[in-house]
Amino acid sequence: MSDERKYRWVGTRPIRHDGVDKVTGRANFGADFSLPGMLHGKVLRSPHAHARIVSIDVAPALALEGVKVAITGADMPDIASEMGTAGEGQVDYAEVSRNVMAREKALYDGHPVAAVAATTSEIAEEALSRIVVEYEVLPHVLTVDEAMAPGAPILHDHLRTAGLDPVPDEPTNVAQRIEIGRGDLAAGFAEADEIVEHEFTTQMVHQGYIEPHAVVARSGEDDQSVVWCCTQGPFTVRAMCAKLLGLDVSKIKVIPSEIGGGFGGKTTVYVEPLAVLLSRKAGRPVKIVMSRQEVFRGSGPASGTRIRVKLGAKADGRLTAAEAWLAYEAGAFKGSPVVAGAMCMFAPYAVENVKIEGYDVVVNKPKVNAYRAPGAPPAAFAAESALDELARKLGMDPVELRLVNAVKEGSQAIYGPKFRAIGMVETLQAAREHPHLKAKLGPNQGRGIATGFWFNAGMQSSASVSLNEDGTATVVSGCPDIGGSRTSLALMAAEELGIDVQKVRPVVADTETIGYNDATGGSRVTFATGMAVIESARDVVRQLRERAASIWGVELEQVEWNDGQALPINGADEGELEPLSIGTLARRAARTGGPISASTSLTARGAGPSFATHICDVEVDPETGVVQVVRYTAIQDAGKAVHPGYVEGQYQGGAAQGIGWALNEEYVYDEKGVLQNPGFLDYRMPVASDLPMIDTVIVEVPNPTHPYGVRGVGETPIIPPLAAVANAVRDATGVRFGDLPMSPPTVLARLDAR
Amino acid sequence: MESMHYESPATVAEAVRLLSDAPPGSARVLAGGTDLLVQMRIGRIDPALIVDVKRIPETRGVAVRDGALVIGASLETMTLRRAPDLEKNFPGLAEAAALIGSDQIQGRASLGGNLCNASPAADTVPALIVLGAQAEIAGPEGTRRVPVAEFVTGPGSTVLGRGEFLVSLHVPLPAPRSADAYLRLIPRTEMDIAVVGSAVSVTLDAGGTCTAARVVLGAVAPTAIEVPEAAAALIGSTLDDAALGRAGQAATAACNPINDMRGTVEYRRKVAAVLTRRAAAKAAERAAGRN
Amino acid sequence: MATVVFSSGLQRYTGGVERVNVDATDVRGLIAALDTRFPGIGQVIGSGMAVAIDGEIIPDAMLEAVPPDGEVHFLPPIGGGAGGDRGRTAQRT
Repeated sequence: MSDERKYRWVGTRPIRHDGVDKVTGRANFGADFSLPGMLHGKVLRSPHAHARIVSIDVAPALALEGVKVAITGADMPDIASEMGTAGEGQVDYAEVSRNVMAREKALYDGHPVAAVAATTSEIAEEALSRIVVEYEVLPHVLTVDEAMAPGAPILHDHLRTAGLDPVPDEPTNVAQRIEIGRGDLAAGFAEADEIVEHEFTTQMVHQGYIEPHAVVARSGEDDQSVVWCCTQGPFTVRAMCAKLLGLDVSKIKVIPSEIGGGFGGKTTVYVEPLAVLLSRKAGRPVKIVMSRQEVFRGSGPASGTRIRVKLGAKADGRLTAAEAWLAYEAGAFKGSPVVAGAMCMFAPYAVENVKIEGYDVVVNKPKVNAYRAPGAPPAAFAAESALDELARKLGMDPVELRLVNAVKEGSQAIYGPKFRAIGMVETLQAAREHPHLKAKLGPNQGRGIATGFWFNAGMQSSASVSLNEDGTATVVSGCPDIGGSRTSLALMAAEELGIDVQKVRPVVADTETIGYNDATGGSRVTFATGMAVIESARDVVRQLRERAASIWGVELEQVEWNDGQALPINGADEGELEPLSIGTLARRAARTGGPISASTSLTARGAGPSFATHICDVEVDPETGVVQVVRYTAIQDAGKAVHPGYVEGQYQGGAAQGIGWALNEEYVYDEKGVLQNPGFLDYRMPVASDLPMIDTVIVEVPNPTHPYGVRGVGETPIIPPLAAVANAVRDATGVRFGDLPMSPPTVLARLDAR
Repeated sequence: MESMHYESPATVAEAVRLLSDAPPGSARVLAGGTDLLVQMRIGRIDPALIVDVKRIPETRGVAVRDGALVIGASLETMTLRRAPDLEKNFPGLAEAAALIGSDQIQGRASLGGNLCNASPAADTVPALIVLGAQAEIAGPEGTRRVPVAEFVTGPGSTVLGRGEFLVSLHVPLPAPRSADAYLRLIPRTEMDIAVVGSAVSVTLDAGGTCTAARVVLGAVAPTAIEVPEAAAALIGSTLDDAALGRAGQAATAACNPINDMRGTVEYRRKVAAVLTRRAAAKAAERAAGRN
Repeated sequence: MATVVFSSGLQRYTGGVERVNVDATDVRGLIAALDTRFPGIGQVIGSGMAVAIDGEIIPDAMLEAVPPDGEVHFLPPIGGGAGGDRGRTAQRT
């Protein structure tokens, strides 16, 4: 599709439709709902990393005045293993059920073992303290090293390593082995002039969304349920509550609230099925709001990893071989994003001989969930750090080394398929020309660059566009707005209809008022839901042209739509006929054929990958090890930026999260496997004063399969920063950090050992 | 479950009576509440009585009186920081106050609360000690003064007895050519708890030689600790690099830190030296600039 | 004829063969044809692998049409979660 088209609305920066509500506190988030007769639910969580649950006695809790109902694993239906969609990937409903409420074993500190509902939250809290649980504490494992060691304590007796042939019959914590690759690795290394080999580790981190999970469920004996909650996927919540509790999907209505951040962490269920079950049993609505501590202990952080990389290249910089070994923590149940990590880590480079081996490993930590480009940041950290070392060994500029190997249209991706038009080269060239690269560095300062790739998703979306009697339009879709998508959808509708974007009202509907939508995630909403909106808007335009044609008594082909009005063309008495505005046609809709609206449901095809290059300057205090990011530039291909302000926001947000991942964020456990820092004081995310203004550059290499050329942008930005920061620290100090985070004590110890 | 009572007395005597009458350990004083409310919410404490002292005039205000800056114990840090007498006389204490929490927290948090909460990492405590500050306490037996250096007895515990509360802090005005400085290390730039804190005050003679000094470290022991050996290394010197280095070494030797996720023992020892050197240099530069 | 390219992980089931031409109009037929040529590979691919046709990763691709000159790749399941105990009923953990 052409980029030559001039846009009237797409590419502008109107204030978002939900902006005033959000900055004035008027917006309603998950915890803002209440219903008459509502009970307060609380969850009792295991204090042990690994333990057999010998017995649970909830009777003392039920004896407390005000406590109406209590549930344990025994109240959850036993369901068979079955795969379902959550976020961009697949999960096993049976394991989701066991994560939501423990059965025979508690598998991590924070694993729910019981829940109560009472008339006040204080009474509910007191009720929890009265529940008697007898645990048989078991030895635990917290890292891939511990879990993979011979003789390690086993989490799941039945688990066998998939992907080995034949599948071995010993109990293991290794859920799966995967391998992708091509060519001849040995030959590739044999012809290399330089070889670089390094090992890396990263720690478990959390998405850090400001809004804790919250739900109000109203359920009854007639099996009808209504669920208000903050979620990235109302249809996912509906499907999971149905599956986990044995209810009909059609009898559950999920209403998504405004959402205070998700980043992939709100694409599954935690307290929602518990609230529904408590409500069913109590016959009253139940509200559960997670505390911050519960969010850290009981939601879905991102995997800690161990990764080994080996690269071979000719003296001119051409990569001849790339090898990687990855082990990812899955948390208490199988299913880490090791595959995506494997797919993305070398994807920006055309290298013939590749072998990537990956392992999905269960450990006694919360079951991991998606975190913005799930799997890719640690893998890219390893690959881009190794490339940086390679550039030094070859005496090459790091941008030039990447340009020599960059994939282009027609290149074969590491994971197989050929690329269509892509922007890897363009982002590198933009970096090369950027003033940031030419700026002088001061004492104790260093600069690093890194690139990133995410394939982006299409998936299913439904949307409708309706014309109101006054000529305004309502755009209804089913994907919660986590990045400004509502306004982007409004911009697309405004563009097609030819009306002011402020006259378009974008609405996020619930599961009963819009067709099926996969969750918000995969950087897909502006792309896929956008396509559905564009298609519907074009259908509305066709209907408007039909109305004008019938009013004028001409053929449809003699009516053109431009700038919000119908114009006669092709010999249709152009001099005699006045244009018909959308407002006029809307007012006359009832008399010319009835309401004007259209809806579209589709599975979007042709999602285009997004490449990025980031440049980072740091200053390292050699006496304290404190690393300060002093300048940061994020350059990324958006295909076509529908709302440039929100695209820039995604670049900056992902960069901020990646910087935190690199410098200070990590889950800290004690020797008993108990999480030590379940709060924002000691789980150290960057605050505003920690970061400079992150400069952004939007590159546009249009995605040929989208009407406007749109590519998803939300996930790629978190991928380069880990290595960009580490490469900058290497430049500043001469020390290569392969273990994240680079917190001050870690940095100082390595500096002093120089 | 007990319900909680809230009282807001208007006089010192009234507050003392409320606190004395309450069963031991059941009452808490409320100033800004930025530690109290957090601890209540995480379930660490469960007071039956909250005594809000912000209506008591003696705990409010900041003014110079009888050769000292008198700071009301419940005064919000943000208000205190705006007092010209603070920055003018005690730039180090002003630095420490500016580091508390964040702007929002400083809208409520008080120096009195910072002291009474008695965290080993409290930022203003080392700064107050090097200035020779005194705590004015009211209780059933009347009022008494205790040097801030003796006020905190351990993590979370103070010399306050039953029925007593902190009314105000008295910080003696500095001698000529004296200045203080406070530095702390945190992994981020704000909103963090000190991994190490170092407060230094120095007095110089006309020739630039140090005639008096105090060095106090925070976050490296159960309470803030004074390091006389570090002060001794500075006194009699011109605060040259060698003297600063010796003061730093003394600071390292005096540390008794713990290993926790904010910092290892080794890290805290190293950084104590670095911050002490840097704070002493800063204090010296300031002192030289004052008549 | 569509071309199927096997990643190194799948080549163990094809005896090292990296690419083959297959006559099939949809993915289901394509996998059946592959399983005839390389017995056992059908089960491996069918246990949750994703399909990419001409560069596009397609979930639930069984009924997807395969273009006449299309290039097909198979990828391990991206979101994680398919495992060796598929087919077993409720686990005891």
